[in-house]
Amino acid sequence: MTAQMFFIGFFGLASVWFGIVVFRTFSMVRSALALLFSQTALGAMFLSMQAEFLGVLQIMMMATEMSIMAIFMVMFMMDPGGLGEMDMTHQKRLSLGAGIVAFVAAVAVAVFVDWGPIADVAPDAAQQTVDLGLELLGRSMLIFETAGITILTAMIAATAVAIPPVKRKPSKGATHHEH
Amino acid sequence: MTTAVLLLLLAFGAYLVAVLENWATSGRFQLATPAFSALALLGRESVLPRKPDRIFFEVAPTLLLISAVLAAAVIPLTPNLIITDLATGALFINAALVYVLVALIMAGWGPNGAYAMIGGWRFLGQLIAYAMLIVMPITAVVMRAESLLTTQIVVSQAGLWNIVYQPVGFVLFFIAAMALAFLPPFDLTTAKGELAGGVEAEYSGVRLAVFRLGRLVLIITLAAATVVFYLGGWQGPWLPPWAWSAIKILAVTAIMLLAGRYMPRIREANLLSWCWMFGIPLALLNIFLVGVLVLVFS
Repeated sequence: MTAQMFFIGFFGLASVWFGIVVFRTFSMVRSALALLFSQTALGAMFLSMQAEFLGVLQIMMMATEMSIMAIFMVMFMMDPGGLGEMDMTHQKRLSLGAGIVAFVAAVAVAVFVDWGPIADVAPDAAQQTVDLGLELLGRSMLIFETAGITILTAMIAATAVAIPPVKRKPSKGATHHEH
Repeated sequence: MTTAVLLLLLAFGAYLVAVLENWATSGRFQLATPAFSALALLGRESVLPRKPDRIFFEVAPTLLLISAVLAAAVIPLTPNLIITDLATGALFINAALVYVLVALIMAGWGPNGAYAMIGGWRFLGQLIAYAMLIVMPITAVVMRAESLLTTQIVVSQAGLWNIVYQPVGFVLFFIAAMALAFLPPFDLTTAKGELAGGVEAEYSGVRLAVFRLGRLVLIITLAAATVVFYLGGWQGPWLPPWAWSAIKILAVTAIMLLAGRYMPRIREANLLSWCWMFGIPLALLNIFLVGVLVLVFS
């Protein structure tokens, strides 16, 4: 139990530390990969909490996502190597306030919500995977499907916005009158 | 004990891959060449490029090796010869192998060189092409086994190997595995003739030795994963299980290495469009067909 608590705390702190590193570096790739290791540490926290499937999934998904984010940051930022020491932060007061409010809200939810009886022993890993599958196809299906469709819509919209508009010439013979 | 045995076998396997690769590229079968090459690499100076991203540059070769070894940890060679039979084994292989990408991006970005960087980003481009073709065929394999345990996946093929049960998935996975190991014709990441080694270009000496070792382990791990997922793992008549595993893994490795020799290199943009236009629909079809077969015959 104590070893478990130690590892949860250790990976939690590691996650926070890598989150800070994101803003302490000037290099876009370092920043993206620091965020990746922050997320990987979260996955390791899941593993320490004996949630094997969620942990492995988190560790797997974040690697691709953050790597793809890295190339986008390199493509679109004017100083991807960070040699010009561009400031990585902006709107400091607003983000500080938002961060504190979000932190307090998260702690409040964790402390004040009635989570029901706490299980003494976690079900074995294979059983967890089964339970998770049934949960995703049952009670939580609507939430996950909504989230998935929302993300897909956002991606398509972002792509559509990013494509420069093409002026089409009116084709010959079209009934198009200019005044 | 099992871990030590498997790590030794992995090292031996990596050596055989090096021999096979040499055979496939130069046509000469020489058992001692990889040992001499390794000695030569270890004896040479490991040059540090100018203004590198030192952390990435140092971490990349090791991370490549670690991710390949971690993926090998859930691959069974016999019913009992497996480092850890995780309840999420089939997913864990993916999770470990994704860090090959992270390692190659680090290796590309780290040395502050144009060739290396192009190689690294190319690998990312290739990953976007083939990533789904790794995950989706595995999904179909897992559907049949009704378990993520790799040992269970092998047991599920007792009657009929998956290469017959789901041939489309096998072909897609095989191609994707070759791309993940950046073997020819998908070796634009290292691109010997064009980028002077790509991600490998700025590495030398002991760092390059670790990088090459990592890649060899990656190849044998992917061949072993192919055997576990599609070729019935340790199963086979007459010979003991470990022998069947060894024969199948080496055969798959040899085919992977030979196949690249007779194909033109594929540009990553073409790979991307072919994978998304044909590969992913086929993978979805494969999942659907396997789903129907599982429902009908169980």
